[in-house]
Amino acid sequence: MATVAGVEAGTQTPAPAARPAGRRRSFPVWRWAILLIAGAYFLIPLYAGLRFAGLKAFGDIFKQSGFYPAIGLSLRLAVITTIITLVLMVPTTVYVHLRLPQIRRSMEGITILPIVIPPIVLIIGVLKVAPGFLLGTPYLLALVYVILAMPFAYRSLDAGLRAFDLKTMVEASNSLGAGWPTTLWRVVLPNIRTAMLSATVLTVALVLGEFTMASLALYVTFPVWIVQFEQNSGPVSVAASLLALFVTWILLMLIVTVGSRGARKRGSARVDLITVAAPAESSQTMGEPE
Amino acid sequence: MTTNAARDAATADGTWQAGRTGGTSVSLQGLSRSFGTTRALDGLSLEIAPGEFVALLGPSGCGKTTALRIVAGFESADTGLVLVDGKDISSVSAARRDMGMVFQSYSLFPNMNALDNVAFGLRMRKQGSAQRRTRAGELLDMVGLAEQAQQYPHQLSGGQQQRVALARALAIEPRVLLLDEPLSALDAKVRLQLREQIRTLQRRLGITTLFVTHDQEEALSMADRVGVMRQGKLEQIAAPDVLYDDPATVFVAEFVGVMNRIPAELQASANPRTVAVLGGTVPVKDQEPPENQSKSAIGGDGPVDVLVRPEGLTMQAVENGNGIVTHRTFLGSVTRVRVMLSGDVAVQIDKPSSEAAAVAPGTSVSVTLPPEPVLIAPRRPVTP
Repeated sequence: MATVAGVEAGTQTPAPAARPAGRRRSFPVWRWAILLIAGAYFLIPLYAGLRFAGLKAFGDIFKQSGFYPAIGLSLRLAVITTIITLVLMVPTTVYVHLRLPQIRRSMEGITILPIVIPPIVLIIGVLKVAPGFLLGTPYLLALVYVILAMPFAYRSLDAGLRAFDLKTMVEASNSLGAGWPTTLWRVVLPNIRTAMLSATVLTVALVLGEFTMASLALYVTFPVWIVQFEQNSGPVSVAASLLALFVTWILLMLIVTVGSRGARKRGSARVDLITVAAPAESSQTMGEPE
Repeated sequence: MTTNAARDAATADGTWQAGRTGGTSVSLQGLSRSFGTTRALDGLSLEIAPGEFVALLGPSGCGKTTALRIVAGFESADTGLVLVDGKDISSVSAARRDMGMVFQSYSLFPNMNALDNVAFGLRMRKQGSAQRRTRAGELLDMVGLAEQAQQYPHQLSGGQQQRVALARALAIEPRVLLLDEPLSALDAKVRLQLREQIRTLQRRLGITTLFVTHDQEEALSMADRVGVMRQGKLEQIAAPDVLYDDPATVFVAEFVGVMNRIPAELQASANPRTVAVLGGTVPVKDQEPPENQSKSAIGGDGPVDVLVRPEGLTMQAVENGNGIVTHRTFLGSVTRVRVMLSGDVAVQIDKPSSEAAAVAPGTSVSVTLPPEPVLIAPRRPVTP
């Protein structure tokens, strides 16, 4: 023991060189500490909720009146919102990248607006311009959600398009005889699959969890139902929230896993829940600016 | 029609022998194109004969890529025409031009394996699945990548990707092959191999080819004719050896190959004109007045520069010569010797390596110019 300690002391005394190694060794400890603190911060409320609700409450959820209509509406809204978002945002983002790269910055600014505009302003705005047949139906909410999802969808798609040499791919496809629709379908979309999945994941998560707009518009989506139901039975309401959390989480994991499997085969980027990080500028910069 | 003939010829014996008769001619007529205030092309005219391999060579920003992109249909010219087999194709979209293009950056579709990439153009031409797979297989075989057919682009090296891209461009039996610096992203050795492969295939298929590059070695070694471009204009287009031995302008002379400038005095009254240089007198080559320089600058007696290649100078070790050897660069069979002449003029002289061994740095040498006609240029002020 003493010898070992002596040796250790001996190796540590010729200090400066040994120091970085020491720091590196202590780093994982901090990492673990932070992870633990963050984990506790997120998990303790969940655990408390679980304790409060009790396991029986989970079974009761499905017997409650209004549960199925609420969850059904939320899921339908999620699907509709995702479709509208992708149909609107994918061509727009592709067009901006190809033809108007100079407005990419301002697009980023515009798409961030829904986050800073108060919900009440958004919903009144949508009510003003919404087509008549949508007024009075809950599907009006989908329009609002499309706006809310825009920042996330745009960022995902933007990152996805920056990750490969869009201009060259499109030109290669054109020169081989493919027109625009074919190029979009066979060349562009398959290569932004990952980004589209990210956009979908974020949109679905947003719709399934959105409360403010739905409650302002007086429609009973799943989150609104949970809050309303809390007055009847606290434990069941909490159980429903937890269930919603798990179901959403499982759904997202499913999308991510399926997406990653396809992506891995092709060596493209892994699907991340939030693809916001800008990938390195690709070979686009290689061309000489003539 | 020619495409069909070629296809038949190709499928008949199962190989890609030159089945193409005639080929396609391309004619660029007075192409101009501006981007904002930059004039990328300034009245470029160029004729490419059927089956010819023409390279456009020039410094970055000279407009060569713009010219290629106009031919491909990715850009449009402000004025001027592109004729393919005598027909104006300005209004034809890129997708319908039947031009095979290989890009500078890797352009394989990442979501398809090599075979599907090559078959893509055939698919666009509504060929049956079995037929296009067979054809794509043949083409991959032709570029030596039959074994990589099932691999995705990220599993291929840069050189392999460009070979697949070449196969993909050739698969559609294009009327014209367009190469946009396809080798510049590759490392030197691969570049050299691919250079030969492209040239061999092009000859075999007899396909009219326009190749854009800033690498003169590439242009000179591959093309039938090389067009040197500068500021949106064609300075000279000629066979590589003509371009090297008989440049039409000072720009071409100095852009292509290594060129020495040696101060001299023009004696314009002599007929033919002569220059006094390096203690001797040599005749001046009968050169066209360079377009970009005023004729008067080089018309009368006075200071000029003589332009001469490293192999055009002779050198002998003597005591108290007119120069001192400063460097030697071994280039294989020849060694390039750098000599400082009086008046702080540095020149490079190529010597067979066996002879160059005798002139170590510091040796006093006598540099002379054989009495052959030389090219002259207006005296360039010596930059400190």
